[in-house]
Amino acid sequence: MTDVTAASTETQPPAPWPDDASLAAASHGGPMIELRGVSKEFLGDRSSTTTTHALDNISLTVNEHEFITVIGPSGCGKTTLLRIVAGLIPYDSGQVLVKGKPVTGPGPDRAVVFQSFALLPWATVLENVAFGLETRGIPRAEREEQARVLIKTVGLAGFESRLPRHLSGGMQQRVGLARALAVNPDILLMDEPFGAIDEQTRRIMQEELLRIWGYRRKTVLFVTHSMEEAVLLADRVILMSPRPGRVHEIIDVPLPRPRGRETERTREFTDIKELLWDKLRVMQTV
Amino acid sequence: MLVAFLTFWEVAARLAHNIGIATFSDTMVAAWDLMFGNGRIWEAMLNSNAALVLGFAISAVTAVPLGLAAGRSRILDRALSPYTAILLAIPVAPLVPIAITAFGLSLAARVSIVILFAVIFIYVNTRAGVRSVDRRLVEMAHAFGASERTIWTKVVIPSAVPAMFAGLRIGLGRALTGMVAVELLLVATGVGKLLLEYRDRLQPAYVFATVLFVIAEALLLLELARFIERKVAPWND
Ligand SMILES: Nc1ncnc2c1ncn2[C@@H]1O[C@H](COP(=O)(O)OP(=O)(O)O)[C@@H](O)[C@H]1O
Ligand SMILES: [Mg+2]
Repeated sequence: MTDVTAASTETQPPAPWPDDASLAAASHGGPMIELRGVSKEFLGDRSSTTTTHALDNISLTVNEHEFITVIGPSGCGKTTLLRIVAGLIPYDSGQVLVKGKPVTGPGPDRAVVFQSFALLPWATVLENVAFGLETRGIPRAEREEQARVLIKTVGLAGFESRLPRHLSGGMQQRVGLARALAVNPDILLMDEPFGAIDEQTRRIMQEELLRIWGYRRKTVLFVTHSMEEAVLLADRVILMSPRPGRVHEIIDVPLPRPRGRETERTREFTDIKELLWDKLRVMQTV
Repeated sequence: MLVAFLTFWEVAARLAHNIGIATFSDTMVAAWDLMFGNGRIWEAMLNSNAALVLGFAISAVTAVPLGLAAGRSRILDRALSPYTAILLAIPVAPLVPIAITAFGLSLAARVSIVILFAVIFIYVNTRAGVRSVDRRLVEMAHAFGASERTIWTKVVIPSAVPAMFAGLRIGLGRALTGMVAVELLLVATGVGKLLLEYRDRLQPAYVFATVLFVIAEALLLLELARFIERKVAPWND
């Protein structure tokens, strides 16, 4: 951590929150997110009687400061899982706890990064990043000051007054990430945040995310369909299986941090990725 | 393009030898006279525009809020849909005599006709604008703890603005149509009265010139609407 802080004077933007060396050194704290036997069905249209069993008896604990990735075939309920934790949709049975309290809706302890970026097209980068602070009633001067710090953190200094459509996909998602970090949540919920971004940019974004995450280890629940991404980022990979959506297996990723491109060339990385692929391949053919 | 059209107009009108068709040059002379000679166009325009301004303003301040509300509330939308369907489906012309019966040959009658012409298009477009809001943006706002009011002011209304202004522009054109139509059909006043009078006096150049003034006003008003839209919603260019 110390070298990151030292480098920040030159190449790195300042940390958005007070750097806490003990925090990075600390092992995982207590449970941050707990799902106990959570199920979710979607009713079909008025015309059809089919229901989709999106999630079936999901149990899962995410500890403080943990980086969890979720992977599985399309339609296995990854987005549904994330939206339930975000408090955006209700669940049918079971329990969802965040910091020990049942989730009844969105809350200031969680922030979401969306695959579609979900930026307001009529708002500038600064206004978009400050959006979550604005909904919390923080006065303009204060929220813009905080937003500017986060804009620097994600490397967008100088773009404050641009509109989203004048930015590339990668830059737009930097805005999405800054908006989520600006509210200083305990938990980051990310739904294939780099899924709509080209391969080269995606790699840079992964490294950026790891760098930013290193400042202060937010608890992260990160959905992806890329095996490299799942392994590179995670402390643990949740492998989900479809119809109905279930937790198929949880795979530990004991690779040392900080991680970067070198990590991907290590034997350990490749082994875990291959293991993941073997398990996913079985599912794909089902 | 414009020069070619005006030349064609001049030549064709001269060749036609029809006393009902004025040449471009005669029309310009008449226009000059209407403005600075007898000066009758000003009073006529003022008179006509009273109905237009009032009618359009009333249309806008009722149709925009109703359209916004109906776009988001299923109950209100259902409640209003029979009336909006009628207003959309039937031609407005048959309603003109009804308005006259109700209000006599008054300003109120002309205003109500303008409203009948304009209001539905403003409503329908505003409602469609609200309907077309990106669900993902609404979900984002919810995720960041936005109140219903914040979702309205920061997400729904801004995304409805382009369609709303399209509705206002169409409504404006329709309001102008209504304004002139009622003056020609029933209440001979303002621009309509001028048109009828010059037609009866067989002065086509004055008829043409008066029509040109109406067109000029329409273009001016649409340009004004665009200008306001760019001020309100600069992100759309
Ligand atoms: N709002 C919804 N209404 C009906 N069905 C839905 C809805 N959202 C998701 N589903 C269904 O639930 C299943 C899981 O969807 P989702 O969570 O989006 O999967 P994933 O993100 O893993 O691709 C899919 O079969 C999908 O069609
Ligand atoms: Mg998904």
